Amino acid sequence: MIELKNLTKQFGDFKAVDGVNLRIDTGEFFGLLGPNGAGKTTTIGMLSTLLLPTSGEILIDGVHMTRKRRDLKQKVSVVTQEYSMRQDMIPDEVMEYQGRLYFMPVRTIRARTEKLFAFAGLNDHRQKSVRRLSGGMKRRLMICRALLTEPQILLLDEPTAGMDAISRRQMWDLLRRLNEQGLTILLTTHYIEEAQSLCQRVALMDRGRLDRVDTPAALIQELGAYAVDGLSPDGMHTRYFHERQDAIACLSAPGAQHTLRDTTLEDVFVERIGRHL
Amino acid sequence: MGIITILWEKWREFLRDFFRITLAAMIAPLMYLIVFGWGIRTTMNGQPYLYFLIPGVVSLTTMNGSFNAIAQNLNVQRLYEKAFDQVIISPTHLWQFLIGQIIAGALRGLYAAGIILLLVWPIRTGLIFNALSILILFLNGAVFASLGVVVSFLAKNHADVPRFSNYFIMPMSYLCNTFFSTGSMPTGAREFVSALPLSQTSGMIRAISGGNAADLRGILILLLYLAAFTCIGLYFVYQKENL
Repeated sequence: MIELKNLTKQFGDFKAVDGVNLRIDTGEFFGLLGPNGAGKTTTIGMLSTLLLPTSGEILIDGVHMTRKRRDLKQKVSVVTQEYSMRQDMIPDEVMEYQGRLYFMPVRTIRARTEKLFAFAGLNDHRQKSVRRLSGGMKRRLMICRALLTEPQILLLDEPTAGMDAISRRQMWDLLRRLNEQGLTILLTTHYIEEAQSLCQRVALMDRGRLDRVDTPAALIQELGAYAVDGLSPDGMHTRYFHERQDAIACLSAPGAQHTLRDTTLEDVFVERIGRHL
Repeated sequence: MGIITILWEKWREFLRDFFRITLAAMIAPLMYLIVFGWGIRTTMNGQPYLYFLIPGVVSLTTMNGSFNAIAQNLNVQRLYEKAFDQVIISPTHLWQFLIGQIIAGALRGLYAAGIILLLVWPIRTGLIFNALSILILFLNGAVFASLGVVVSFLAKNHADVPRFSNYFIMPMSYLCNTFFSTGSMPTGAREFVSALPLSQTSGMIRAISGGNAADLRGILILLLYLAAFTCIGLYFVYQKENL
């Protein structure tokens, strides 16, 4: 279980994260959504101890997380937003270095690397330096690296950024399977459909504060399960309805071309966060 | 265990960049020896100047080799490649990471010094380099590797490490008992420069190479520098809010 208690991170006068309180249960797949600069990466940075909080605390299974807590760090793996690997290493070295940092026997590292590389389609690129890998391959390598240590908690900061649609779907399947096996996952993403598809609960974050925390279904229901897009000379306008009949009635309104569809988490995101931007 | 991991990483780096590292270690000291030793032929205390120069060049080579092996590399890993993030996130003790870097840096310095000794070996100078010399050179390398760690954490961008090198490492290369004795410096400057780690190393290495007794208080001074830089490095890795 992960608990954030009044977590705050300040850079000079700027509060990147402002008094965040959050609890993520063991085995939960949790999404942190927000626009650029909302504080998602800073939150992940503090969870992974890359950044130290200005105030507040982080508890992992009830224990205070610090840079010195090896036992807690052993449980956590992180896929950072930026490529965080030595560019002159080859993928096998990246994996071996990671395994050694987590005190894994070399034989185990190599066996798991074989499996992960086969899954990620990296076997043909094992002798290339990281510098020569494409963005998508680097991303897949980072995910293989994070999974190598068989963590209990996986922190994913924009893990599918730069991946093509097929690789992204494969990644979703993998993450779902891992979560079904009990892995706790905290995901930040710009792909809202990714969060809607994968996450049991999501938090909407804006300007360092949590706006709402709930299941995607509850957030959609609150806004209205039916959306009617109206295209007029002024641009696109969307209205939301709780009842389908009301939405259908809106379709026949004069002055615009209307389309009925299901409301998505992206609509919730745009309505709740986009209004402030 | 964590120290072994870091040594493994630095060993892989050494193998990957073997020719570049070896050439880089050779060029500058070789130029010093050619220009000041063979080009400008002179004597010092009735002996060929080369005999005075070699221990100084070997000492400054360990300094440069160790500092460069750590400072620039760690700076790039921290600020650009973000590979240092992987270490902070991992359960490896950060003090072990630090010690691993210092040992690896010291070994790289020793390697560079070894190359210079091999290059001057055919001259048959009769200079003595023994186990104590190796220990002193290792300590000197460790001091400058630990300084490299500190500088890499202080650096805010890619240019900061070369800048530090220009302002501090390069002047030390010339002034710290390497090309001439600190005894000929004016009072005040002499005491200050003599207290610097490279002056201590050069003095001890030169004494041993000439078959004289080295002032072993220099080892204590090197250990004090090493302890100070290591403590600053530890402060950074454990206490700095934004690495």
